[in-house]
Amino acid sequence: MRRKNTDTCSMTTRQLFAKDASKVALSLCVFIASSTLLLSTSTAVAQQSERPNFLVIVADDMGYSDLGSFGGEINTPVLDDLAQQGMRYTDFYVAPTCSVTRSMLMSGTDNHLAGLGNMVEMLAPNQVGQPGYEGVLNERVASIAELLRDGGYHTYMAGKWHLGLEPDQIPHARGFERDFTLLTGAADHFDDMWNIEWQMPKVPYTEDGQPVEKLPKDYYSSKNFTDKTIQFIEEGRGDGKPFLAYMAFTAPHGPLQVPDDWLRRYKNQYDEGWDVIRARRIARMQELGIVDEGVSTAERMWFIPRGSQLAPGVRIASGRKMEIYASMVEYMDDQIGRVFDYLKEIGEYDNTVVVFFSDNGAEGADLMQMFAGQRGSMGYLHAGANFAESGHNMLGRKGTFAEYGPAWAQVGAAPFRLYKGHVAEGGTRSPLIVSGPGVQGSGGVNTNAIMHVMDLAPTLLELAGVEHPATFQGRDILPMQGKSWVSTLNGEAQSPRGPDDYLGFELFGSMAIRQGDWKIAWLFDPFGNGEWQLFNLDADPGEQFDLSEKFPEKRTELIALWDEYKEMNGVIIGNRSLLDGYEKRLPTRVFESGNYPPVRGVEKIPHKKMIELINNQ
Amino acid sequence: MKELNCSARFLAIAASTLAIALISGTANAQDDGSRTYWKGRSGTNAMSFQYLNMNLQASDTVQFDPAHFIYPAADVEADIFVLSYARHLTLFDRPSILSANLIGGSVDVLFDTAITPPEFLPPGVVPGPSFSQSASGYADPSVQLDVNLFGTPKLPAIFSYMNYEPTWTLDAAFMLGVPLGQYDADKVANLGLNRFYGRIALPFKYHFGVFSPGYRSTLEVIPSVYIFAENDDFLGQKLKNDAMWQVEAHWTQDFTRHFFGSIDLLYRNGFQSEIDGVNFGSDIEIGDLGFTLNFSVTDNVTIRTSFSSNVFGDSDIDTSMIRLQFVYAWDRAIENLKKLGSE
Repeated sequence: MRRKNTDTCSMTTRQLFAKDASKVALSLCVFIASSTLLLSTSTAVAQQSERPNFLVIVADDMGYSDLGSFGGEINTPVLDDLAQQGMRYTDFYVAPTCSVTRSMLMSGTDNHLAGLGNMVEMLAPNQVGQPGYEGVLNERVASIAELLRDGGYHTYMAGKWHLGLEPDQIPHARGFERDFTLLTGAADHFDDMWNIEWQMPKVPYTEDGQPVEKLPKDYYSSKNFTDKTIQFIEEGRGDGKPFLAYMAFTAPHGPLQVPDDWLRRYKNQYDEGWDVIRARRIARMQELGIVDEGVSTAERMWFIPRGSQLAPGVRIASGRKMEIYASMVEYMDDQIGRVFDYLKEIGEYDNTVVVFFSDNGAEGADLMQMFAGQRGSMGYLHAGANFAESGHNMLGRKGTFAEYGPAWAQVGAAPFRLYKGHVAEGGTRSPLIVSGPGVQGSGGVNTNAIMHVMDLAPTLLELAGVEHPATFQGRDILPMQGKSWVSTLNGEAQSPRGPDDYLGFELFGSMAIRQGDWKIAWLFDPFGNGEWQLFNLDADPGEQFDLSEKFPEKRTELIALWDEYKEMNGVIIGNRSLLDGYEKRLPTRVFESGNYPPVRGVEKIPHKKMIELINNQ
Repeated sequence: MKELNCSARFLAIAASTLAIALISGTANAQDDGSRTYWKGRSGTNAMSFQYLNMNLQASDTVQFDPAHFIYPAADVEADIFVLSYARHLTLFDRPSILSANLIGGSVDVLFDTAITPPEFLPPGVVPGPSFSQSASGYADPSVQLDVNLFGTPKLPAIFSYMNYEPTWTLDAAFMLGVPLGQYDADKVANLGLNRFYGRIALPFKYHFGVFSPGYRSTLEVIPSVYIFAENDDFLGQKLKNDAMWQVEAHWTQDFTRHFFGSIDLLYRNGFQSEIDGVNFGSDIEIGDLGFTLNFSVTDNVTIRTSFSSNVFGDSDIDTSMIRLQFVYAWDRAIENLKKLGSE
């Protein structure tokens, strides 16, 4: 209530300015406002020993199963250790793409309300200019940084924003006291600042709200975001206020790049192909309790051949990309370790709630093709001039733009179907680790909680003792739709959501609703069938079996929820979609005859053995 | 007899550079040439055709040490053709290259007898007019086996080559020349050596930068020693030569994916002659500096050109060489894949 009073008074002050009221009235109000602010500040200082710091770490395009603690073979000891201290949540949802997720992270409410009804780069004609489709974090919401800053927190950000480029849209204007920010959605990870979009060939960075003209020569995204996070905390800790530090890594988003001395950490580890790696991950996930044994997992996508069907050279060329990706993930993990070490050194680690997740599913799209694939286009020219190098041993270095494609993305998404950009589980399920004061965990895995990225803002506000106001800086703001995790984190509840709660998803015209174990999804052909499909995620997390005919009432029930969700959030289905026409763009199903070539175990058959087997038949 | 000895001395020195150049099928500062010991996929083949124009002039102003035996104003010019075949293979579980050189061409020797001391003139040659001799035909063919000792794994398949990112490598190379080339014991100018010869080399290279076309850079050092059998009919006498020590070095640099160049250095020392048991002259010492430019015209065809000239060592010899080389390389597996791709 106190925050509300302050805001009200602040608004009154502005009104008085506007009306050129008497000096007496102005002085009185300023006095009251100052007193209130002082009271608020002193209260905050008094609370600071009780209030935790927040370290929110977001990976970019990292797959669900990449971390060791989620079944992956990638070496992520720091995050695995974090998982051992805290809790892993298996049913944590984000949006299918990054800026959309980030709008919900910042606002605590649905992306269609917060301004990212669609990615600004992909707006359909009928969405342009519509409320909720501004393509930036709009003024209908207050950011978590704004609220925590006003609630007595230091607010720091280092990393990717992707929620607006204008001066009043950037992190410094949306509540972050200190920032070192990549404003756009992706960039070269080194110092040359190349952007894949020719319209803005060099990406904009800001530091403390000011444009960054040049990056240091030894710049590498994950390293420098970490440096800045540590720097900001160090420079701000003198006054004893708690902090919110938002580390929005751009790793492992494409282009897949990593410092040279990290490039070969996984050399040849992925030459066996995606099927083997994926099978191992799923087995490990079952061991860890991330995935139940006996449930259905997603099939290898129909247009992707078995790894064993590929020529060894092709497997190596493909595996090289996954090697770089894995190195990027490990590098990020290593840098997170630097922050943890620093927090331990200054005695703040035990008072810091750490939240780690990925902004969406693994990336299976070909961004290079998307932005620069048309010969004769400016994008093609731009790509050719700046990041066309594609030599096998060059990949991952400056001047290259490697992506690992759908075959590896489905490994990252294991055990789910599809990947980034889709409302299937592979696009929207993210690995979540939470650790710190108030989190009961000790390495546990919570498979019951249905959680969402828009829950984070209400959770942090509750932990900080800050209420979400109805108005902010003189304007009405939307309430948060997210549900606080506090009772789930401290073990009082299994899930922040009850049986009647549901989650809605829509992006690029694909739609989904999850309620309890049930999910309906409408995906474009050929990813879906252009109809609502019904899945039971408890038995079928891979969304392999459409139960529409078996449970028509449930399907109808969930479609009604979709209608409610659409109405409540002002969803406008685009009259054009990024996913239009895929049924003609994707290859047909890969030919596979029954038992040839012979398969043993998980398809790892040495060439000589294969010849023997064929000869013996 | 004395005249014969003089002729022997002439050849022993003036033609030595040329002869050694013929042995290896290349010449001067390039000798083996840059990137010769880079390994390809086992099964890769290469045919090479080289044209070399080599010149050697002895100074007409230098007062010669009588022991040095170089004719003043001697002028040797050779047009040489070298047809080579090389195959990359795996031997002793190591990546290797087996190569053979067939060498031919012509050589012309001209010297001004007007200023040549009479005692140095070949038999039958009188002071006054210029003296010249020519030879043409095949030189001695040679075969060489190069085996990597360290730094390069066997490369049996395309995928193994894809994994290949060398840092430093060390090879051992053995070459044998067979005296099948043109040789006339009564002539000063010959293309064949009339004796077996061999070479042992330890090619070393260090890779800088990324091992990817357009970015590769190497320092290559090839120390070697040439060993010669006895020529039992050298103008009627027996010619022996000491071993010749040689260090060949290249700094190579990719300029683009299909274009590289190198700075080439060659130092040779030794080869002292002994005719009928008597030492003549002293060791030769020649240092050549040159450059090479190499263009990949297609996936299969490469054109290489080189130039070199001696820049230090014996001050009374000037040598220069221009080389033009065409290489056609092919790999059956890759060619088959191309067939599929073209359908």
